[in-house]
Amino acid sequence: MDITGSDVVQGIINGLCMGGTYILIGLGLTLILGIMNILQFAHGEVYMLGAFTVYLLSVLLGVNLYLAVVISMVTTAIVGLILERVFLRPLKGQFLSYVCVTTGLSLILQTAIMLAFSKGTKQLPSLYKGSFEIAGVFVSRERVVAIVIALLLTLALYTFLKRTKYGLAMTASAQNREGALMQGINPNLMSAMVVAIGSALAAVGGALGGSIFNLDPYMGGLAFMKGITLIVIGGLGSIPGAVVGGLILGIAESLLALFFGSQMGIILPLVLVIVFLIVRPKGLFGHD
Amino acid sequence: MLLEIKDLWVRYGGAEVLKGISCEIEEGSVVTLLGANGAGKSTTLRAITGLVTPAAGEIWFDGKRIDGQPPQKIVELGIRHVLEGRALFPYMSVLENLKVGAYLQKDRTKMSDTLKRVFSHFPRLEERQGQQARTLSGGEQQMLTIARALMGNPRLLLLDEPSLGLAPKLIREIGKIVRGIHEQGVTVLLVEQNTRLALDVAHTCYVLETGVVAACGITQELVKSDLVRRAYLGL
Repeated sequence: MDITGSDVVQGIINGLCMGGTYILIGLGLTLILGIMNILQFAHGEVYMLGAFTVYLLSVLLGVNLYLAVVISMVTTAIVGLILERVFLRPLKGQFLSYVCVTTGLSLILQTAIMLAFSKGTKQLPSLYKGSFEIAGVFVSRERVVAIVIALLLTLALYTFLKRTKYGLAMTASAQNREGALMQGINPNLMSAMVVAIGSALAAVGGALGGSIFNLDPYMGGLAFMKGITLIVIGGLGSIPGAVVGGLILGIAESLLALFFGSQMGIILPLVLVIVFLIVRPKGLFGHD
Repeated sequence: MLLEIKDLWVRYGGAEVLKGISCEIEEGSVVTLLGANGAGKSTTLRAITGLVTPAAGEIWFDGKRIDGQPPQKIVELGIRHVLEGRALFPYMSVLENLKVGAYLQKDRTKMSDTLKRVFSHFPRLEERQGQQARTLSGGEQQMLTIARALMGNPRLLLLDEPSLGLAPKLIREIGKIVRGIHEQGVTVLLVEQNTRLALDVAHTCYVLETGVVAACGITQELVKSDLVRRAYLGL
């Protein structure tokens, strides 16, 4: 089969769209890792939970899709707050217990969702139906909407971190924990905020992912791995790094799948991770 | 007394770092803690701001018992701790570092007044306010940590080794800054390896030796004692 130029353009657009959902899950992971110094192993399940909340509201209860996404952001943030208070905070600094508990948590959440929602493929309604044509390439509107939503939320987060008092305090806590403590910043408030924000973003990521691809209780595992991959590429704790890392990852996957088949599309980005870890361990935008 | 430490014990793992230290700091004074590496100077400061939890003893600040409280509560009472090694936010700008220093200040006008005052004391920082903290020179970074602490309008300022790694000219500058802070009515507790600088600015001096107070008193009188001079001050 010949691959035409329009296939490549289509591939890039798909890649940007996937990249958008990866960015939304990666931002939470990278912020939580930066501020709390822990990898939130159940973050993929938070993403999945966000997607299923949107499914419950919009498909089963008939709520407007965009309203459902907003409600899911709020409820998923609340779930995040509960996870932080009950599981993450008491285990801070105890690495092994922490890994066991969050891994267990992700299994419990997967099973709970599987039991609550019957088996079978589920999909969210399209974000925006139809497609348009640019230069001979058909582009589906929902993919463009997904990219725009992801980038707007990232911009909002960046502005929050740069311009507000609590945002600056969060950035400061990530850069020097003791230095932040000595300015009177409450570390528990910071970890609660970062998990709530990260969970809300993951919920939107889940909704975008779920409207373009399918929903299933195990979707979080793969999404989590993408999140980790983009952190390695972009650099830990960096917002621009997460954006660039997510877009590179999405486009690389999509184009590699186009040229070498979808299996390679999944494997080769992991090769990219290994290359980054060897050549530039701090990532594109990371600090030392 | 603004700060009172009574029979303070601190253990790290199995090791006893502080073995019953007592010390008093009067409001408006400059007090220095001297002693060799490992004598327990930094640990004393870290116990005051709650970064380490004492095994026994009491710490009182302005009539309130503060040992066992989390750091952010202690800082809120008006204590600021300039940590050894500066603890700046390296990838934030000078101005952002200072803004975070005023985190507890809810009144925006008061914050900008404090910022103006801090900039008038540290004009270099005003010139460099947009630069990332990590790009400053060692001396400027030290100024920034002190300035950041002053943004919190402290009543008691704890300074841990502010002269560390600085050239002699800058060390004299630090001395001037400490005096300036004192003149504004801030009480200062200074930990220093540089004995000359410490004795120069402090009214009262405590000498620590492996976790106990080996000598204390008015600086002027202490330096007259031959024993103290030879054994602890290296003069």
